[in-house]
Amino acid sequence: MPRLRRYARSLIHDTGSADDLVQTTLERALSHWHQFDQRRDLLVWLLSIAHNAFMDQLRRDSRLSIIDPALVEAQQDALRSDPGVDVGLRIDLLAALGRLPLDQRVPLLLVSVEQLSYAECAEALGIPIGTVMSRVSRGRAAVRESLDGRSRPDGVTTLRRVS
Amino acid sequence: MTSLQRPDNLLLSAWLDDELDPVNHAAVDAWLREHPEDAALTRLWAADRETLRARFDAVLDEPIPPALLQTVQGHSREPAGAATGIGASPTPGSAARTTARTTDQTTAQTGARPFTQASPAAAGNTTGTTGWRGWRLAAAMAGLIVGGGVVGGLIGATAAARDPSILATLRLPWSGNAAFVAAANTPNWPRRAAVAHAVYAPEVRHPVEVNVAEGSAAEQRAQEQHLARWLSKRLDLPVRLYDLRPQGFELVGGRLLPDSSGPSAQLMYQNGNGQRITLYLRRPEPGTATDFRFQRDGDLNLFYWVEDGFGCALVGKLPRAQLLTLAEAVYKQAETAGLPATAPPRPGS
Repeated sequence: MPRLRRYARSLIHDTGSADDLVQTTLERALSHWHQFDQRRDLLVWLLSIAHNAFMDQLRRDSRLSIIDPALVEAQQDALRSDPGVDVGLRIDLLAALGRLPLDQRVPLLLVSVEQLSYAECAEALGIPIGTVMSRVSRGRAAVRESLDGRSRPDGVTTLRRVS
Repeated sequence: MTSLQRPDNLLLSAWLDDELDPVNHAAVDAWLREHPEDAALTRLWAADRETLRARFDAVLDEPIPPALLQTVQGHSREPAGAATGIGASPTPGSAARTTARTTDQTTAQTGARPFTQASPAAAGNTTGTTGWRGWRLAAAMAGLIVGGGVVGGLIGATAAARDPSILATLRLPWSGNAAFVAAANTPNWPRRAAVAHAVYAPEVRHPVEVNVAEGSAAEQRAQEQHLARWLSKRLDLPVRLYDLRPQGFELVGGRLLPDSSGPSAQLMYQNGNGQRITLYLRRPEPGTATDFRFQRDGDLNLFYWVEDGFGCALVGKLPRAQLLTLAEAVYKQAETAGLPATAPPRPGS
């Protein structure tokens, strides 16, 4: 569960909302336990449920379906006020991550933070491995560009609907 | 052999994640050696990755909110009962699947209850796959709760092993969550037993609070009586100083330790080679009962079980078979002692 919480937190920086997602994930996992194929990896399965739950939540809550600059700001504030975090830990990086479209952010987090292989990431998200590979790569490059100040300064154009 | 074409971001990124086959990996290696700018880019990506890990790894050490624990525990309680019925003997295939991914940090059950104590194990087989699933569910849910500490350390270790800069071309099977799987079906307290062992067993001067191995025979006897009385009183359990001398282990002494549900006790034994084992005793949570289980935590082996309101864990760096012999000795002595059927522990207070 700590790893599930970590993933949720990397996706939704607010602790409460992230734990809500973990809660939803656990409940779904428990009620669909009979569908779990023992040969599969439990964590990958749980992450896949978490991902679907997260997407469902976004669909339900249209306010969150647009990556809102104000929301990013709020997340940054939340990070700053999180006593457990060293402020030196690159708030700008997290902000750049937050600006990534979800289809890049999610695979990048799964591969970077959760250290899933591309194959496991593909399984969790239900997309081909090649897609994982390209999204991780594009996500990485975009984060870097953003940090190096080469990102489109009119950040508004990067806003997009994800649902 | 140098690849003449610049690897695109796709390839560089996959290289960083150690996802390339050896040929392509080597080609990118070669390219990066000669193109510092691209090498610098991959280093930046790697730094970003490390930063993200560092930021979110902190979550692993946070206590799990009670509401989340309740979700899991509420569900696992019932299957756990079914689990006991299965008697820890799933089909070999399932066991192999469970342990296949746990590689070095294996948590496996002992395969069968090694003792003669009557159990509904035989009947349990009729529960078939449903029971097994139930057991797996309980196991998984228990595993979900385990996080930082020793297990967290294991995750850290395997994470380091996956760093492509360390093991550039090794294609390791995914083992980053080995510890996660390994922790399955494990209540928390055996891990505390392992931690307590790791803390006190190497102590040279103060391995125990009450030492029964010093002084004259009479003094030793007096200390033993004092130790047994003291621990029994504090744990509110009849603590016996088990005799492991037939197995070559002398009692060194014992100490009182904090545990989540109140005090616990640690008895330490030592053999002629200076090898130490510790026996961790505690009052288990009401309603919990477990079979005899085996667990490995790094280089520590551990057997634990709950019997008659008594939770025991025997920890040591000994080979599993030797530790099992010792555990059986403890178990038999506890059984023959005919521990009084104490009233069920009162929750809280």
